[in-house]
Amino acid sequence: MPQQEGHTRRTLAGHDGFIWHEPGPYVELGLASCFSFLRAASDASELTAAANLLGYHSIGIADHNTLAGVVRVHTEARTACIRPLIGVRLVLLCGAELLAYPRDRDAYARLSTLLSRGKMADVNGDWQAKGETHLTLDMLVHHANGLHLIVMPGDDLDAFEASLPRLSRALPGMRHIGATYLYRGDDRARINRLDQMARTHGLSILATNDVLYHAPDRRPLQDVMTCIRKGVTVSRAGFRLLANAERHLKSPQEMCRLFADWPHAIAATRAVADDISFALTDLAYEYPHEIVPKGLTAQQELERLTWEGAAHRYPNGVPSHVRATIAKEFALIASKKIARYFLTIRDIVRFAREEAQPPILCQGRGSAANSAVCFCLGITSVDPNEHDVLFERFLSEERDEPPDIDVDFEHERREEVIQYMYDKYGRHRAGLCATVIHYRPRSAIREVGKVMGLSEDVTSKLAGTIWGSFEGQMDDARAREAGLNLSDPYLRMVLKLAKQLVGMPRHLSQHVGGFILTERPLTEIVPIGNGAMPERSFIEWDKDDIDALQIFKVDILALGMLTCIAKGFDLIEAHYGRALELATVPIEDHLPDEPGNRPTYDMLCRGDSLGVFQVESRAQMAMLPKLRPRIFYDLVIEVAIVRPGPIQGDMVHPYLRRRLGLEKVEFPRPGPEHPQDEMEKILRRTNGVPIFQEQAMRIAMDAARFTPAQSNELRKAMATFRSRGTIEQLQSQMVDKMIERGYDPDFSQRCFDQIKGFGEYGFPESHAASFAKLVYVSSWMKCHYPAAFACALLNSQPMGFYAPAQIVRDAREHGVEIRAVDVNFSGWDCTLEPDGTGFALRLGLRQISGMREEAARRIVEARHMPYADIADLKVRARMDAGTIRRLAAADAVRSMGIDRRQALWQAQALRDAPALPIFDHVQAAAEGSEAQVILPAMPRAEHVVADYQTLRLSLKAHPMSFFRGSLRHQRFKAAADLPRLRYGAPVSLAGLVLVRQKPGSAKGVCFITLEDETGVANLVIWPDLFKAYRPVIMAARLLVVHGRVQTDGRVIHVVANQLEDRSDRLDSLSDDRLPGITTRGDHPTHPIPGQVGIRGHPRDAKIILKSRDFH
Amino acid sequence: MTRTPPTRQIVSVWFPHLAMERWRNLAERDRALPGAEVPVVLAVPGLHGPVIHAVGDAATARGVQPGARVVDVQAIHPDLHVEPADPNGDVAMLDRLTFWTRRWCPWTARDNEGLLLDATGSTHLFGGDAALLSDMTCRFAMQGLTARVAMAPTRMAAQAFARYGEATTIARPQTLARDLASLPVRALRLEPDIARLLDRLGIKTIGALAAVPRAALMRRFSKTAPATNPLVLLDRAMNLLPDPLDPPPDAVRYIVRTKLAEPVMNAAPHLAELAERLCAGLARAELGARTLRLTIYRVDGNWRAADVATARASRDAAHLLRLLHGKLDKVDPGFGFDLLTLEAMRVEPLALRQERIDDIRDPDDDVAALLDRLTARLGRDRVNWSAWSESHLPERVQHQTPALTMQPALPPEIAAERPLRLLDMPEEVHVLYALPEGPPMRFRWRRVQFTATRHSGPERIAPEWWRDRPGTRLRDYYKVEVEDGRRFWLYREGLAGDGRGDAPRWFLHGLFA
Repeated sequence: MPQQEGHTRRTLAGHDGFIWHEPGPYVELGLASCFSFLRAASDASELTAAANLLGYHSIGIADHNTLAGVVRVHTEARTACIRPLIGVRLVLLCGAELLAYPRDRDAYARLSTLLSRGKMADVNGDWQAKGETHLTLDMLVHHANGLHLIVMPGDDLDAFEASLPRLSRALPGMRHIGATYLYRGDDRARINRLDQMARTHGLSILATNDVLYHAPDRRPLQDVMTCIRKGVTVSRAGFRLLANAERHLKSPQEMCRLFADWPHAIAATRAVADDISFALTDLAYEYPHEIVPKGLTAQQELERLTWEGAAHRYPNGVPSHVRATIAKEFALIASKKIARYFLTIRDIVRFAREEAQPPILCQGRGSAANSAVCFCLGITSVDPNEHDVLFERFLSEERDEPPDIDVDFEHERREEVIQYMYDKYGRHRAGLCATVIHYRPRSAIREVGKVMGLSEDVTSKLAGTIWGSFEGQMDDARAREAGLNLSDPYLRMVLKLAKQLVGMPRHLSQHVGGFILTERPLTEIVPIGNGAMPERSFIEWDKDDIDALQIFKVDILALGMLTCIAKGFDLIEAHYGRALELATVPIEDHLPDEPGNRPTYDMLCRGDSLGVFQVESRAQMAMLPKLRPRIFYDLVIEVAIVRPGPIQGDMVHPYLRRRLGLEKVEFPRPGPEHPQDEMEKILRRTNGVPIFQEQAMRIAMDAARFTPAQSNELRKAMATFRSRGTIEQLQSQMVDKMIERGYDPDFSQRCFDQIKGFGEYGFPESHAASFAKLVYVSSWMKCHYPAAFACALLNSQPMGFYAPAQIVRDAREHGVEIRAVDVNFSGWDCTLEPDGTGFALRLGLRQISGMREEAARRIVEARHMPYADIADLKVRARMDAGTIRRLAAADAVRSMGIDRRQALWQAQALRDAPALPIFDHVQAAAEGSEAQVILPAMPRAEHVVADYQTLRLSLKAHPMSFFRGSLRHQRFKAAADLPRLRYGAPVSLAGLVLVRQKPGSAKGVCFITLEDETGVANLVIWPDLFKAYRPVIMAARLLVVHGRVQTDGRVIHVVANQLEDRSDRLDSLSDDRLPGITTRGDHPTHPIPGQVGIRGHPRDAKIILKSRDFH
Repeated sequence: MTRTPPTRQIVSVWFPHLAMERWRNLAERDRALPGAEVPVVLAVPGLHGPVIHAVGDAATARGVQPGARVVDVQAIHPDLHVEPADPNGDVAMLDRLTFWTRRWCPWTARDNEGLLLDATGSTHLFGGDAALLSDMTCRFAMQGLTARVAMAPTRMAAQAFARYGEATTIARPQTLARDLASLPVRALRLEPDIARLLDRLGIKTIGALAAVPRAALMRRFSKTAPATNPLVLLDRAMNLLPDPLDPPPDAVRYIVRTKLAEPVMNAAPHLAELAERLCAGLARAELGARTLRLTIYRVDGNWRAADVATARASRDAAHLLRLLHGKLDKVDPGFGFDLLTLEAMRVEPLALRQERIDDIRDPDDDVAALLDRLTARLGRDRVNWSAWSESHLPERVQHQTPALTMQPALPPEIAAERPLRLLDMPEEVHVLYALPEGPPMRFRWRRVQFTATRHSGPERIAPEWWRDRPGTRLRDYYKVEVEDGRRFWLYREGLAGDGRGDAPRWFLHGLFA
């Protein structure tokens, strides 16, 4: 899943002292924002804030052939007390440039359609390249009705004069010529000449400053952007750069002064602005009509389907309290008029369940998803009857936001769902959102360094220091360490410019799954552009823009675990004869909590969760034995608690203590004059400790008496961390208010700290519940059908935290027999084979690196009887020599009675030419019969290394086992020995490095997981030691550690004192190199772009993004 | 295959640290060599950012290996010192060494990261095989190059010993097979995937390879190209297949000489004939001279040389002669000269050219000839022409470069009008103007008072922020016409209240026609 979205968008906080100004004589209409990619250097918040400070009442936004930035201007302008005029700067292929401002909604639709045309097809009607817009005068003429057009003369006035008759003839709506006073020496003469031209053609000049940035000190950044766009260094850019910094936003008074001799140019701006009645709020959203049958209202249809679903969900009758909940929800849905939204989602889910063959597993999540209605409609599998606790919140009436439901699908089959949407609503009415790709610290420093003429060495050092430190920020100390002198003014300038560039949009890309559906053609709402890939197009706005305009969207997301669960269900049905669905997986919560009754929870309590959804990370594995989940709701908490929010808010340990009964569960109370149970109502389910986002927000509203508007602001301020001042102000507001109302100051502060943490990485309860369902289902499968689970997991790779080697080892530890890849037994996927009592797991040909699925299919098809030898395999399965060699190298022909070496020897003798039987004897005669060649036996260690090279795992032995003898001799312990050691005992360990993590929430502590043949060991590296051993930690594949054992409950750590990189020993195993075995959770080999926190899990990407909002 | 070629003595030289040592030598010369503790690597551009090409000692000690990405290594060792590698320069150096090593034997050729010498029959000149090899090692070491040398009857074997064998191995034909047997198969310069295959087959040494029945091997590698076929390579190493050395021809020098029977005091009369002969030689090769060196040898063994250069390649004897004219005037002839040489030190391709039938000469030729003569007479730095750079600041648009170093270019087009004459140093003037940013009304320049009758402007030119000192002020240029019709170019430096100094100052920067 792409993670480019991590950047928080820059927004204005509400109270920076903006006030509405009277409409003035002048309106700036020639304003470009940073969405005129690499042409203008200020973003929406800077432009609108500057405009308000300069005394503007309204400004126009006109980006270079795009509307991508207008929503941001629209929202920021609202905060900054500015009326935004929405327009675009049309740059035609003939070179003419015009500012275009739609008068009304219809004109806007035409403008948007025009841009879409230019972005989707080039002049010849072929597929348009990404990021290009081809517009011709002819196209404009057909869409010009209702547009205010202001033609912008270029530098060459003679050429402009020559083209003007043509333009004004073709565009009767063009009333103005843009005139600028930019200190070019001949401004007066120029404007006079333009004025003359305008009069000749019956037009008028219109004053504009052709703004590229909000303040003159942005000129360097604009110059740098120009250089990036042109691919030159700044010292060679020459006249491509502007001579001065005059193209900033000037105050209305200043513009009036400059145009004192041409008052009609100033008046024209006001006239144009006054004539525009269009605002983005006019894009009132209409839901598609298809989903409601004729003759019914959406609400009626929803109620009908819900009761129908309820009857199916509860064959024994709908429980009365569920019935009551449904009725309550209906009322809410009706009052908010969002029935069509539920119907749309239900339709998508219905397609996945009923129409797709075989059915696609899916599950909804989000604030609205965990409702009884959604359960009945089949959108979610969290049963309100089982877990009624969740339904206290659903949609809060006071929050005027569209409901939020994301639907996860099997990641391999999401495309089918997307195609269904396109088919049903048509490409002209369904579109994917864009994702704005921003400059990140690394790309920014690279680009700026290149432009400023820094050597590759210095630039990569600057960029490298950002990466290697796991931090998202450039840090002076690290730069000094790299030998860079940051006091050098030139370098300072580079860094300053790079910091300014960070967060500027670079280009638009396709969002992973945000769909918008419309009733009118989509192009009339927003321009659609092409992606880099053929057949991919997306709208110009991203999901925040869509949210801001309250247009509803559906997130169609891919989730690897759903693929895995679907495959697991299939295997269980095929081999064990038991058909399952997400909702029908047996729940163990009902049985009394006695030994043996809740094996799934028992397994999780042991921290035995490798491969399980969400709780397989190292931090989660360490938490499970402490939290000891016994019921479903414990899993909901487990999912949410190991996150930076609760950790930074220091909520984890209080919760654990209370859960274990070490601390009394009590609810902080306000002063006696206030309702005493307000905290209890919020925090009852979590033992008085706030864990979820919703709780934190609820505390702000109930305990600190924040108004909905204030808490909304709090939520936004937390999400962006833009202005320190705002946060401090909110902090004092909230904490003081809570103290004033009689709460404990310490508790109040902790609540606020937690909200701060949530801002970036909180977890709403609604998401946690949906995820907990998948946690439970995957754990249940792992517990009861370990072979099927491991098989499904391997067949769904790549996904999750661990590599196949760890999945296989874990399955073996759970008593599953693993059988090697073999051409006579394996399919493409891993399969289950009967082994007397149960099933053994046969690895599939997919494990062989470089193997093609189509070749595997031929092997299986031609296998009506076993392949006798290599030649037989080649002939019957029509293999090319390369594939045969790949199979031989993977040791996948042992059933023929030969090992890897002999197989390779034989494979090498085969020809690639098609075997023509009539030539066989000729060839045999020519080459003579093959003399028996005795090759030396392949040592086991070499086999293991070759296994890792070809399969990324070895069933023969673990690489560390070859050193065990010598290690024992040197008094080293194995990972399995650790539980037998007492607390604080000194220990020496050696193992392969699996995972290295330095979570942002761990205050500089680094965690390393080592693997040896007996298991894994968890190392803790304190920050001082990390500094000393940084090169070792970053480089080692085989790490030797000396330290002390520490236990915390059932979790065993080794606190390292000393580390050694002994990767050289691995080279003694074989002449070939053992490939690195680090897993996807490893930070250095799988860096997370721009990520500061404990991400570590690719699947979490979406959740973290979502969590910028509180639900 | 029964024919036994005569025993040859092939020497293979391998420079294991060629790129790094060459860089060190250059850095040392420029006094830019970092301390021994600094981990230095040389990098080449790769698909995903720069990749390490060569590794210095300190970096090797830290476990840095070639082939890794620079950013990855920098993450581990932030103090890594990265320099760009210069593979072309390395090859050029090997080419030069190829000719230099002909001091030992006449057949030498460049090899991958090394050299090959066919020393058959010349080792006795240096005191035998061992003495020759140690002489080589010493002389390379004096140039700052670590060299591993080996001698064997075949080229392949020599290369294998130099790279994988013991230091300065000397293999004899009788023991060749035995000596080679212990070397890894990779020593045969196998392709990586063939080497890996042989490794997985357990055939790890040349001995093991030789022990496998030939038919079996032949069957398995029959489709492999001869250059990569392990059997062929083995045979070449074992002297069963010819493995010839392909030395490049000697470099051609364009030099002519005149030996005089009697010493003369004045060499000038002989120059014409020398120049004719040199130009005839150049004409045959379709080349022209860019630099010439005339050397005269005195009878007492002393010699003097004079260099001249041309703006474009030339083989016009008369022209070259004129350039040389007077170059020897100041040379003390002593007891006279008896040998003169004239060499074209730098040559460039110069195609034969058809004279035009109307006898009109290309004017560029005349300019070039003039420049040559002026430069030859006045010195390289005294004959300049304008070079241009695009800058908004008027004084940065033009600068002077020596005429012989580059081709003239047209000035860039500047949209705004510029004065005919720009003062080298703007001269401060006292100006009366309307505050804060009005045009000049009256000003005094060189003690004369002028009153502006008309003006245009301002043209605002901001400092070039990437190169000007912080605090440099912007300029507002005005074109000003005074009573008598003269036009001046004035600028105001800075704006009132720009935070970069006191009240703005005025300067006169140019004069219009």
